[in-house]
Amino acid sequence: MRDWLILLALALAASALPLAGDNYLMRLGTIVAMYAVLAQSWNFIGGLAGYPSFATAAFFGLGAYTSAVLLAHGAPTGFAWGAAGLMATLFAALIGGAILHLRGHYFAIASLAVGEVMREIVNTTPDLTGGGMGMNLPVPKLSIAASAQLFYFAMLGLAALTTAVAIIVQRGKLGFGLRCIQQNEDAANILGVNAYGYKTAAFCLSAVFSGIAGAIYASWVHYIEPPDVFDILLAVKPLVMVLLGGLGTVFGPIIGAALLITFEEVVWRSFLTIHAAMLGLIIVLLVLFMPNGLLALVRSWLERRRKEGKA
Amino acid sequence: MIYLQVLANGLVLGGLYAAIAVGFSLVWGVLNVINLLHGSFIVLGSYVAFFGYAYFGIHPFISAAIAGLLLFALGYAVQAGLVNRVIAAPVLITLTLTFGLDLILNNAMLLVFSADYRKVNLASPLGSLELGPIFLPGDRVAAMVLAFLLTALLYRLLRDSRIGRAIIAVRMDREAAALMGVNVSRINAITFGLGACMAGAAGALLSIIYPISPLNSSLFLGKAFVVCVLGGLGSVPGAMVGGVALGLIESFGAYWFGPEHAVTLSFGLLLVLLFVRPSGILGKRGYE
Amino acid sequence: MNAVRTSIFKAVALAAGLAASIPALAQDVIKVGAPLPLTGALSPEGLKQQRGYNLWADTANAAGGIKVGGKAYKVEIVYVDYASNTPRAVQVAERLITEDKANFLFAPFGSGAAKAASGVSEKYEIPTIAATASSREVYDQGYKYLFGTFTPNETLIDPLTEIVSKGDPSVKRIAILARNDLLTLSLANLMQAAAKAKGMEVVMMERFNIGAMDHASAITQMRGVKPDWVFATGYINDLILIRKQMADQGVNPKVLTMIAGPAYKEFIEATGPLAENVSSASWWHPAVRYKGTDLFGTTEAFNAAFEKKYGAVPDYAEASAAAAGAILQMAIEKAGTLDPSKVRDALAAMDATTFYGPIKFGPTGQITSLEPPVFQIQGGKTMVVFPQAVKQADFIFGK
Repeated sequence: MRDWLILLALALAASALPLAGDNYLMRLGTIVAMYAVLAQSWNFIGGLAGYPSFATAAFFGLGAYTSAVLLAHGAPTGFAWGAAGLMATLFAALIGGAILHLRGHYFAIASLAVGEVMREIVNTTPDLTGGGMGMNLPVPKLSIAASAQLFYFAMLGLAALTTAVAIIVQRGKLGFGLRCIQQNEDAANILGVNAYGYKTAAFCLSAVFSGIAGAIYASWVHYIEPPDVFDILLAVKPLVMVLLGGLGTVFGPIIGAALLITFEEVVWRSFLTIHAAMLGLIIVLLVLFMPNGLLALVRSWLERRRKEGKA
Repeated sequence: MIYLQVLANGLVLGGLYAAIAVGFSLVWGVLNVINLLHGSFIVLGSYVAFFGYAYFGIHPFISAAIAGLLLFALGYAVQAGLVNRVIAAPVLITLTLTFGLDLILNNAMLLVFSADYRKVNLASPLGSLELGPIFLPGDRVAAMVLAFLLTALLYRLLRDSRIGRAIIAVRMDREAAALMGVNVSRINAITFGLGACMAGAAGALLSIIYPISPLNSSLFLGKAFVVCVLGGLGSVPGAMVGGVALGLIESFGAYWFGPEHAVTLSFGLLLVLLFVRPSGILGKRGYE
Repeated sequence: MNAVRTSIFKAVALAAGLAASIPALAQDVIKVGAPLPLTGALSPEGLKQQRGYNLWADTANAAGGIKVGGKAYKVEIVYVDYASNTPRAVQVAERLITEDKANFLFAPFGSGAAKAASGVSEKYEIPTIAATASSREVYDQGYKYLFGTFTPNETLIDPLTEIVSKGDPSVKRIAILARNDLLTLSLANLMQAAAKAKGMEVVMMERFNIGAMDHASAITQMRGVKPDWVFATGYINDLILIRKQMADQGVNPKVLTMIAGPAYKEFIEATGPLAENVSSASWWHPAVRYKGTDLFGTTEAFNAAFEKKYGAVPDYAEASAAAAGAILQMAIEKAGTLDPSKVRDALAAMDATTFYGPIKFGPTGQITSLEPPVFQIQGGKTMVVFPQAVKQADFIFGK
């Protein structure tokens, strides 16, 4: 119950952002929501099941291009977005069958290779996707503010939906099974957890929302190129965000997304050409000093205070 | 006849790929660390050779030794000071750590050297060997031969020296090695240093072949990944076989299907190989 | 949990507050926003543009600034790095307009990013000058606030085919090797069409990936089809490698054309003697001679100013960036106000000459008045072979 209340409060608070009347803030908000979706998605496979996936970029790009191709052929927007999610899910099920028996680094590389292959396939099918020339999407005939709000709320809604699914999953049998797999996959198998089915389910969950996010993104920027939507950073940043917020938690990914984007924005403003190094520094410090994320840090601090209070 | 040239292209390219991957494979195999700094280490080696030639007239083939030593020191320090602290953590953690370190190193190189592409132009270029209808670029062949010599040296070091045997012991069983009195963290640092040393030497050799820029580091890293998985991790011969295999795949793939498909093809084959034989062509023991 | 949430909102609010607290522009400054790829794959290009913009801003400020209705304004360029990442270029463009209150914008590098970002400046009606976008697709979106200083790609290709086909009618077989990217692919497609129109035979047409590390197989294939003319497109790193690997396999066509690297001195430095006789075309060349009414005046004066500041001869990218500034300045002074729509109208109506060449924008906003020079590297220098008026050397054909 508490998780649902927090989600509701977060959603309501975020819905108030347009009141600030600042279009750039809306853009940042949309980006935070988008990364919250990606981080939350990655958390299913990476955080819960412990499979370090780099396929997020592949799902995102596939969603973006599926939707773009459909829109170019006159499909309605809602349909195109939905189809993008479906396509990404089918793709994940297919690919998952092939690579989910790999573990550790091998799985990481295989999932990375999937993204590279997808990008090159798009690059080499110019008749369908424009190839290296990129692809234009129809521009919605809306005012600046209206279109900013439309995409903000679309991403926000998706982030809320993803989080809702995360809450359900984490409390249910699936979440339990995935945690077992993370602890000890062989033992989980012996205990009767259908590890393969669970992992595939987690992989598909990590695909569906990433795919839809890609589709919304494509409509939002209305011009996509393969290097942009299959960018490796789209796979790496959600991972860092989850690490930052807390691996395997419900709200860790959201906190991580908000913090990292805020941090990036501040750094990009302050340092013209060393922002990459600053980001690197943060990552290094994070890994060395709080590998369990912020949430764990806060929790243990609260715990200590409670104990002190009792004593 | 033309296939002989494509074959020769592939073999020479494969030799370069092997040189790029050896150090990466060593670190991955022994430490179970994916060192994302590897590409930047190679570029750093290239810069040592570039400035050595531009300012002191030192031939890049000689700079390879200097670059190797400098990078060994850097690698040793990185492992001893940073990576060792989280060496026991899950793969994701060490991977993320080296990712962060690479962001810093690459950004620093960009500021110091700028991203402008440079190249070592030898005063007396090595030209091409013409064997009948086949052209063999002299610089590539020479770089390849030297890289093979270095790799053979590494191989002997691992086999015959005390340190080498300790590295292999750590690779086989970390705890047992520690119980046998091996100083594991020191061996870790030496291994990481050796990986960086091979990267630096390879970078110096490549400085006469590829344009030099910090922007190339991700390209080298990508190739090292594929070579390692193709060949099997942690074994020196594995990196050789993987490198040559990748060179041949890209060469024939580009010839038959067009250059734009060469990369797709190699990644596709990589996925297939992971599916059917995750331990690689030569791999005996898969690291899970 | 609550503590965490509050702290996050505080952090977000802080960032937002920081953004808002950046001081509103002082009265006598003209702010020009410049999103540039200062890091990442395109950073060599980003730095070139920055050199051009800086030269303009410093020169303008040294001359007392820009005069608008009897008042002098200083120029301030707000640089933001977008790390060669197009989505970030778009984001940065919006930030420069809404947060940094830029009066005008220079578009991000290249056709792809300029096109993506042009949507933002159009929404906010901020006049934007693209110094490095040549593809028609950038300008045919029906936008009113975007202006570009590069003529369409075919203006590079057509004079080249003219010179080659007239100069040596025995050049019949052309092999094309192109990087799979917006500009480079478009050039290759145009070359294919132009060569066919001249009755040449396209014996090879291949694309390579961005980030390709080897061209040996493509060059083996090239050797097999025995071309008289090899046309390769790519960025400087691609072309350095292709040139080297052609030499490795002894491919020596009568004509070797490469776009868009040879105009940069870095290409000649990196390829050394192999650069000889490589031909190319670009939108500007330091050998052109114009008497401008802009702040630099003649082309010679611009070259001298550039050499004084940077110790090097300017290339077309650096010149185009400086020209973007000079053109903007002329439009502002002509309009006599900083009002965006008035400046936009002044740009659209412009018909003037600058050190860069005659400036007149077509209905789409892309410049129509330039005649891009064709040049060839001879004796380690780029020598103009076309147009006739500034020709420095005859085109040399190989054997």
